[in-house]
Amino acid sequence: MTRKIWCFAAALAATTVLAPPLRPALADEAAFYAKAAAPYKGTTIRVLDEITPLQETLSKIVPDFEKETGIKVEWELLNHFEVINKGQADMLSGRGHYDAIMLHGSQLGPMLSAGVILPLDGFVADPKLMDPGLNAADFIAAPYKTTAFYDGKQYGFINWNYNHVYWARADLLNDPTEKAAFKAKYGYDLAPAKTIEQMRDIAQFFTRKKGEMLAGKPLESDFYGIVLEGIKGGSTFSNLWVNFIENYGGDVLDKDGKPTFDTPQVVAALKMWRELWTYAPPGIAEYSLVDVPTVMGNGIAAQSLAWSDFVLGIDKPGVSPYAGKFVYGPVPAKAGNEAHRHADAEPSVTVINAASKQPQATFLFLQWLADKRQQDKLIEMGQGGVPIRESSWALPAIKDSTNPTLFAAMKSSLDVAVARPKMEKYPEMFDAMSGIAQQVGLGKMTPEEGAKEGQATLLKLCGGKSCTL
Amino acid sequence: MASAGDTILDAPARAAPREPAWYPYLLIAPAMLMLVVVSLVPFLYAIWLSFHEAKFGRVKDFVGFDNYLTLLTDGRFWNSIGVAATFVFIAVPIEFMLGLAGALVLNQNVRGRSLLIPLLFMPAMMAPIVVGLLWKIMLAGSWGFFSYNVLERFHILTDTSVFASPDLALYALIFVDIWQWTPFMMLAFFAGLQALPLGPYRAAAVDGANPFQMFLHITLPLMTPLLAVIGLLRFIDAFKVFDTIYILTNGGPGTSTETPSILANKMTFEFWNIGEASALAVLVWIAFFAFCSVFYQVAKKRLNAF
Repeated sequence: MTRKIWCFAAALAATTVLAPPLRPALADEAAFYAKAAAPYKGTTIRVLDEITPLQETLSKIVPDFEKETGIKVEWELLNHFEVINKGQADMLSGRGHYDAIMLHGSQLGPMLSAGVILPLDGFVADPKLMDPGLNAADFIAAPYKTTAFYDGKQYGFINWNYNHVYWARADLLNDPTEKAAFKAKYGYDLAPAKTIEQMRDIAQFFTRKKGEMLAGKPLESDFYGIVLEGIKGGSTFSNLWVNFIENYGGDVLDKDGKPTFDTPQVVAALKMWRELWTYAPPGIAEYSLVDVPTVMGNGIAAQSLAWSDFVLGIDKPGVSPYAGKFVYGPVPAKAGNEAHRHADAEPSVTVINAASKQPQATFLFLQWLADKRQQDKLIEMGQGGVPIRESSWALPAIKDSTNPTLFAAMKSSLDVAVARPKMEKYPEMFDAMSGIAQQVGLGKMTPEEGAKEGQATLLKLCGGKSCTL
Repeated sequence: MASAGDTILDAPARAAPREPAWYPYLLIAPAMLMLVVVSLVPFLYAIWLSFHEAKFGRVKDFVGFDNYLTLLTDGRFWNSIGVAATFVFIAVPIEFMLGLAGALVLNQNVRGRSLLIPLLFMPAMMAPIVVGLLWKIMLAGSWGFFSYNVLERFHILTDTSVFASPDLALYALIFVDIWQWTPFMMLAFFAGLQALPLGPYRAAAVDGANPFQMFLHITLPLMTPLLAVIGLLRFIDAFKVFDTIYILTNGGPGTSTETPSILANKMTFEFWNIGEASALAVLVWIAFFAFCSVFYQVAKKRLNAF
């Protein structure tokens, strides 16, 4: 009996020594924020973010910050295009209506040039404000480091790791009739594309007219092999740039920021871009990043490259009749260049407006958002999500997800994701280059002409100098 | 001794004592003040900005005519002028002719006119944003009601969609503009027709003139001032069109539907190059001022308008 008691006591002692890290650490975190926020209790901060399924989930967590700190947060969500226009206008006007604004990685260049983002270094160095338990080493490294820092200064934590994934109809790829027909035509097994060439073959194979058979049933309307974003503006050009041009071994700018849009690799990528548009719905040049997932959800295309956060809003019962019938994969690489694959990503940060009247309280909020407690909660409440922390991959909502290929695809994209270079003239550049992407895609301009015109446009825009900051 | 006529002429002067000289100015002062504040001051500020490097909300150096030279040597600026010119010179004459024809029909006491007139107001009463969304729903690629049920179903347009085609998008926008503004033109002309005196028509009827001769020699000359004013206003309005294009194509595909208004909006709120955008606004204003001045003189002398 005595022995049993001793064993129990030993076990209890061991548990006390070994297990405490979790609960007390969480309590410490909350205590830190309560103490750090004491001088700012009762203040109100305004934060502007964009609306995606991720932010909708986060909005349920934000009230916890108010309870912990007494700082009130006015949390405003707008759509992708509005958050860019309204956020930038507020920062550039110096009005300071918003204390913090979410910026996509590509917006950082112009805003840094204008000097309207408050660097965080002063707050990070202040032990009263900096959470010692934040554990920045847990942030997924490449997107965090290439987005949040510039010229030796820190401008944010990482907030959203938007990334592209390959998205296809599993029911079609697994259909025995289609598999047999595909093998007979192309000589290899039908499966989610691993290379751009396979993606092209699948697109060609599944592009069919009304009345033809698809998976054993006659089509009631035309069906398309692929859908891509093609609108002027949006992220059309970043898709072309990273998923195609970089995977073909080319680039838009060299390491010094000088334009390199007229190389043979760019021309080859543009040729593939043009060919894929011929297998896409006729309205592709109108499709924005919102329309692409809608088209996939409506079941009129076989595959796509799309932003994974939008997938989360479509691939769920009640939203799309094809929910559960999709499969995901890494963004396909160029055949033979798989070792140097690239995937389009738009790591984004919420920054402090230089005109903010409550920068310290805002800093505490941004830090709190990036904290592991909130990130874990965000992933669990959203039954998944797009992680910004490496540790999130091990959470049950992701590890045991009913949609494992989606999270594996996300991870593969984030493993190679980096922010685009910081460019002052990014908006002009993307506007002009997405116009060229459209013209080439529509066949109004040959790939060679597109490459030549793109190079001339970039040279003119950058005035012969580096296009990057 | 004053005559009876003198008494009559003097009477109004005695009845209404003469106002002080400043009185008329006082009456128009609120309107003038409003115009100065909301129109003149921003316009003068835009002129001032156009001579400066103004980017990202910061006004930097005085650059003289650099912004103007940059624009005038930029193919994109001239493309936008060409797009707007195509838009205006196709849309406005069609709206004008259809509007006049419709007004002549309405003027014939057609059955159900009292019901038709309020219905005709509807497109012009809609906010341009609503018009844009309405036609997006109708003509958008693949899922648009008309695109899907007519253009695709009957294989009229299968390899592209209306707003995704650089060859068709501008004409689709022209169609939308015609749809929106023809009824307005029709009602404005109809109001003019209703106000015409009947005497000349009765005299012409007695002289044996046929309806076409009456239209050509009585209606058109009497309506000319109204036609000129409505035509000019519509021309100016069509050149400045922004909302529907912004919603339907935002200037694309490529730059095939990019008018100066769309380009100026991009320069201001996307590129934050406010100096060049101001120069563009000033250039367009100068072109309009010149055009309207010439139009005014011609209309005044040749058409007896204004």
